[in-house]
Amino acid sequence: MLGQPLLQVRELSKVFPVEGGRKLVAVDGVDLEIVAGETLALVGESGSGKSTVARCIVRLIEPSGGDVVIREESILRLQPSRLAGVYRKIQMVFQDPNASLNPRMSVRQVLDEPLKLHLYLLKSERAARVKELIEMVGLTAAHLDRYPHELSGGQRQRVGIARAIAVSPDIVILDEPTSSLDVSVRGQILDLLLDLQERLHLAYLFITHDLQVVQHVADRVAVMYLGGIVETGPTRDLFADPRHPYTRALLSAAPVARWGVKRTRTRLAGEIASAIDPPDACRLVGRCPLARPACASAKPPLLDIGAGRAVACPVVVG
Amino acid sequence: MSEALLEIEDYRGGFRTETGDFVPVLHGVSYRLKVGVMTAVVGESGSGKSLVALSVLGIQPPAFERTGGRILFRGTDLLGLDEKGLRAIRGAEISMVFQDARAALNPVFTVGRQLADVWQLHHGGGRKAAMGQAIEALRRVSIPEPERRARQYPHEFSGGMAQRAMIAMASLICQPALLILDEPTTGLDVTIQSDIMELIVELSRTRGLTTCLITHDLGVVAETCQEVVVMNAGRVVETGSAEAIFTTPRDLYTQRLLSASQLVEAA
Amino acid sequence: MTVVLDSPKAVARRRRKPRSWWALRIGIGLLAFYAAVALISFGWTPYDPLTPGIGDGYDAPSWAFPLGTDRLGSDMLSRLMVGTRYDLGIAFVAVLISLTVGTTLGTLAGYQGGALDTVVMRGVEIFQAFPGLLFAMLVVQAVGAGIVNVILVLSFVGIPDYLRLARAEIHAKRDWQYAEAARLAGNLPWRVAFRHLLPNSVGPLLAFTSINAAFAALVTASLGFLGLGLGPNVPEWGNMIARGQDGVMTGQWWVSFFPGLAILGLTGGLYLLGDALSDLTDPRRRGR
Repeated sequence: MLGQPLLQVRELSKVFPVEGGRKLVAVDGVDLEIVAGETLALVGESGSGKSTVARCIVRLIEPSGGDVVIREESILRLQPSRLAGVYRKIQMVFQDPNASLNPRMSVRQVLDEPLKLHLYLLKSERAARVKELIEMVGLTAAHLDRYPHELSGGQRQRVGIARAIAVSPDIVILDEPTSSLDVSVRGQILDLLLDLQERLHLAYLFITHDLQVVQHVADRVAVMYLGGIVETGPTRDLFADPRHPYTRALLSAAPVARWGVKRTRTRLAGEIASAIDPPDACRLVGRCPLARPACASAKPPLLDIGAGRAVACPVVVG
Repeated sequence: MSEALLEIEDYRGGFRTETGDFVPVLHGVSYRLKVGVMTAVVGESGSGKSLVALSVLGIQPPAFERTGGRILFRGTDLLGLDEKGLRAIRGAEISMVFQDARAALNPVFTVGRQLADVWQLHHGGGRKAAMGQAIEALRRVSIPEPERRARQYPHEFSGGMAQRAMIAMASLICQPALLILDEPTTGLDVTIQSDIMELIVELSRTRGLTTCLITHDLGVVAETCQEVVVMNAGRVVETGSAEAIFTTPRDLYTQRLLSASQLVEAA
Repeated sequence: MTVVLDSPKAVARRRRKPRSWWALRIGIGLLAFYAAVALISFGWTPYDPLTPGIGDGYDAPSWAFPLGTDRLGSDMLSRLMVGTRYDLGIAFVAVLISLTVGTTLGTLAGYQGGALDTVVMRGVEIFQAFPGLLFAMLVVQAVGAGIVNVILVLSFVGIPDYLRLARAEIHAKRDWQYAEAARLAGNLPWRVAFRHLLPNSVGPLLAFTSINAAFAALVTASLGFLGLGLGPNVPEWGNMIARGQDGVMTGQWWVSFFPGLAILGLTGGLYLLGDALSDLTDPRRRGR
């Protein structure tokens, strides 16, 4: 689908100061684009900075540099009081449905709040909308007067989703929405998300470390490692033929719940490097089986390899 | 049928609530761990899979009340043993690896010292020799620079490294007959998880260990285990060879769990 | 209820100590008793508390004077009843002021962080280097006695504790996911802090309020005892103990003993209540 991107992230970076005057580079020059109705998965392991990217986009964390443009409006220069307008277009579903619901608010209050604060509806209109929302996520009006601790994990996440879609946003950031749920619930929540996407024409930025989920829901994938995107492309192509050494290592490490599947693993040496005062070099240097001397002298940019794909590795691009 | 090292027979029990009500959570759990075989106990949260394993070592939560059943280790009922009898079994015969390795290690002693202490406890000998064994064990689980690492404290270890050290402790230092792993790779990144699982498989194969892997992740099971026990809501719903469970699951819950774990069609 | 099998610790924690419930009942009971006595004293006391010479002076407890009379022959029971108004009332008002001001400042500092937080917290640290009672004594000495001054000084002494507590609570919760979710639901930052985070800290704050009220009552009595409180003739408990000192030497124990008992009962009740509240509102054990 071609169209004006709904969300553009340009050269986004986030640096946290750490003791001793050093800098922890959590996000380092990330570019993303999402068009209406599509799902982009942002994949990475712990320490990759994927959750920081999500929080920077909605300014729960103030980015250190770069720009975030939502529907042609740059949001990084907005006064905090003007952000409410942005949150009508972009919403977020959080990882832990237990921690993201205020324990003292009933489901009705949780869903009513964004309607009250964003949409200025009449009380009767809000009540009708709350009822509509709870049914959209597969629960019933009977759940409205319950408190979070009276719901199961899956039900809580449904409430979190209902809250996110309450103001009819264009984009929803899903921050590991299924990783604290049991597998049997995971499937139901993913089905709900896909169903809502189709009905409401939502665009998703899906943050996850679960590669099965990525294959199941995403149109495109961006793989993050140590604060930067190392590879991006359409899901099917990227999974069929991963190019970057890190992507290969990641995909080949994921276990498959099937009998007799043989994997050929690409192995990386050691563990993830520190993000504190990183050198100007490929982030995978020291772990990569393909490393050359040039890899340690400059950080490779994302190189376009056609068919919507890009890889930050001059060695494999050739 | 090969001989069973551990047999759990009709184990049942539950929790007493504040109000004094009794909530049964285990409804007659029975399974067997065969000698030299790697068995997976699979289930989702609330299945009771960990509770049974903790009971084997007598470290179930104090609020848990047993109402029946036996846990036979080499024919002896572990539930009939007193604290002294259990201590003789713990570590020396049965050892356990927990999910959060860094929490299981003592933060105030070096990793090498903790391994060496356990070695001395089980095998005696001098301090120096024990430390040598500790370093050798760390090397065996592929921890780079084991001499330096042995002098470090748990907080200086990453989650993956700490789990390797715990596996070294539970398998190489304790040298048990039965190794129980309770969600050993949950919370670790997939690349680390795969390495740890390979290590576990390799260790149990070369040492002829009987291994019990408690997990919610069927993906991990398919590649590592020979036998599978599926638990749901305090009951064993199906047991069988891993191949049978994955290719021809009989129980409805097993089928559901399996299909939920296979989001993506086979390639 | 749901039993989470895989976290045995959580189950063990959920067991509430029955002791706490008893402490709560006794604490509330004592507090209600004192409040009732204070209210009754507005309408009725056995004798006029300020009139001397009702008895002969140093009358031992009897049917006519259940708690005896003091040196001037005023009825002890009447004076104690009226004294409840002062000690309980001063503590109550002072605590209310420090709770409001301290919690507001602490919430702002905790949520905002940064420079505001640093400035406020340094100020608090400097202030807390002085012992509270000593500070109260010095100030009352300087600005003069009187009920308003005592209340103001007491509330000022209490503010830093509430500030620290509220700040710590809010600071710890600031990055919780529901605080983030509340931002996206359209709340401005101050609303997230006061409407979403603060109500979830009511338990610990309430518990501390109770302990703090005990402290305030003690300081009020101490000031009275030292002659720095409300003026010599006011039937405030600390005052009364001080006036009874001579009697204690010569065997008229009741003149100091009963006001002392009154203070013990009130502070004890408040401590019990605070202890019970902090135990019962522990978030790890909170179920609705």
